[in-house]
Amino acid sequence: MKKVLLVVERDVKRFLRYRFLLIMRALWFIVQIALFGLIASRMVVIENYFQYYAAGVSIIILYSTAMFVSYDIYEEAEHGVIDYLLSLPLSRRELVLGRSIASGIRSFMYVGPLMAIVLFLIGVTNPLNLAIALFSLFIFSFGVSGFAITLAVAIKSEDRFDILMGVLDALIVRISTTLYPRTFIQQANTFYGLISNFNPLTFAADLFRWGAGIEKYLTFSNPLIPIMAIIIFSSFFALIGIVVYEKRLEGGGWQ
Amino acid sequence: MKAIIYIIERDFKRFFRYRWWLVGLISMNLADLFIMALVYTKMVRSEILASYFRFFSPGITITALFAAAFMIGREVNWEVRRDYASYLLSLPIKRWELAFGRVLSGGLRGMVYMAPLLLTTFVFLGSPTIFQLFIILSALFLIAIGTSSLSISIAASITSFEKFVTARGVVYYLLFFCSTVFYPINLMEQLKEQGVLPPFMVDLARNNPLSCGADLIRSFLLNSPEFTPYLIINLVAYAFIFVVLGALTYVKMLQRTR
Repeated sequence: MKKVLLVVERDVKRFLRYRFLLIMRALWFIVQIALFGLIASRMVVIENYFQYYAAGVSIIILYSTAMFVSYDIYEEAEHGVIDYLLSLPLSRRELVLGRSIASGIRSFMYVGPLMAIVLFLIGVTNPLNLAIALFSLFIFSFGVSGFAITLAVAIKSEDRFDILMGVLDALIVRISTTLYPRTFIQQANTFYGLISNFNPLTFAADLFRWGAGIEKYLTFSNPLIPIMAIIIFSSFFALIGIVVYEKRLEGGGWQ
Repeated sequence: MKAIIYIIERDFKRFFRYRWWLVGLISMNLADLFIMALVYTKMVRSEILASYFRFFSPGITITALFAAAFMIGREVNWEVRRDYASYLLSLPIKRWELAFGRVLSGGLRGMVYMAPLLLTTFVFLGSPTIFQLFIILSALFLIAIGTSSLSISIAASITSFEKFVTARGVVYYLLFFCSTVFYPINLMEQLKEQGVLPPFMVDLARNNPLSCGADLIRSFLLNSPEFTPYLIINLVAYAFIFVVLGALTYVKMLQRTR
């Protein structure tokens, strides 16, 4: 356990080095909410769309920050740091577990203040629901990190990974309820509506809104459904991440 | 002139080295159009916009053009950091040819990248007349060379990649969101009157070259907003100012004492 904590500590420290990228993401977040969210809320038929949108953008940024761990992996591969990590007296399992936990923690460290702003704008009605939602979102970010690690080590090519990320981002974010309620996705295209039902971002966005008291356009009437879905998603990818990382880490072949 | 063509050819070859990255970028643009815009079409009040998809289609074309034309800055900044200028200066090419070659290639790459999205816009919004097509392509070319020059002037003045990325982000967000790419100007003006948006933001949106480009296409294909010569004048001014600034900054970067 101590070794896992050392990996966590190292990865959290590394994260703070990306200050320019972190500033840019914070700026993106502010512009999305203060400009697009504000103007779009006057354009659409949804009541209190500004609050709905602000909550969704928080989930997008949580997702993208958790995915960030993959770029660390590529950077380490490029600079030969992976070989150094492999030579350390810790098992592959401890390494990947530490990385996933660290990625979840640093995502939350970063998104926490931004979420606090959003919650301040929305106003919290039920602190217990919020606490459950935030805990589930922590598990979600842990799962996303596992997902990112799985993809990164399975592909082993930064270029291909970049492209896949672009396409995945385009689809995962847009076919989810982060930006709009499922009713409208379904009206636009039934296929999109169907996919959005199984999208982890839909579960995360729904939970955050439920926790923040924005309950009008929730996809699932019972919050247990998204909680369970997030637990399954995160356990699956954390496990797959560990297995794939262990198997693919050695032998080189990074491009 | 021949030297400029060589530079354009070289920059195009480099551009297509990123072809898979470009595929990823195009898929994001298409997802914006065929997923996000379609859903917003169901959500947007009909008294504000009859069809958000039709409104947004010219907008996404312009943002794609802008993003692709801006890519030349990334390469120029790489050259600044790697002191590549020494090699460029050793070539039998005049400095002004190098500068205009880079500006033109950046713009033309943007035009090539944007072409499928413009075609998609024509498919869904209807085709313009030959004269309108000529005006649209000329306007887009002005935006493209203005943007590649803007990008070059930023890239050539900054020696750190992180600072360049930050500056690029600020320019992107400012020009994308303070424009009529995503929402109509009359809605922004209403919000200004209500005190929700500061006046400078609405003024920026009205005079933003991205707004002018998107509104020009809309004026021909959707008949709204009305076409005014100001749209063209704005784009000519944008291209002229930034081509001069970009070329001067680039030449200055080449001559910088090392």
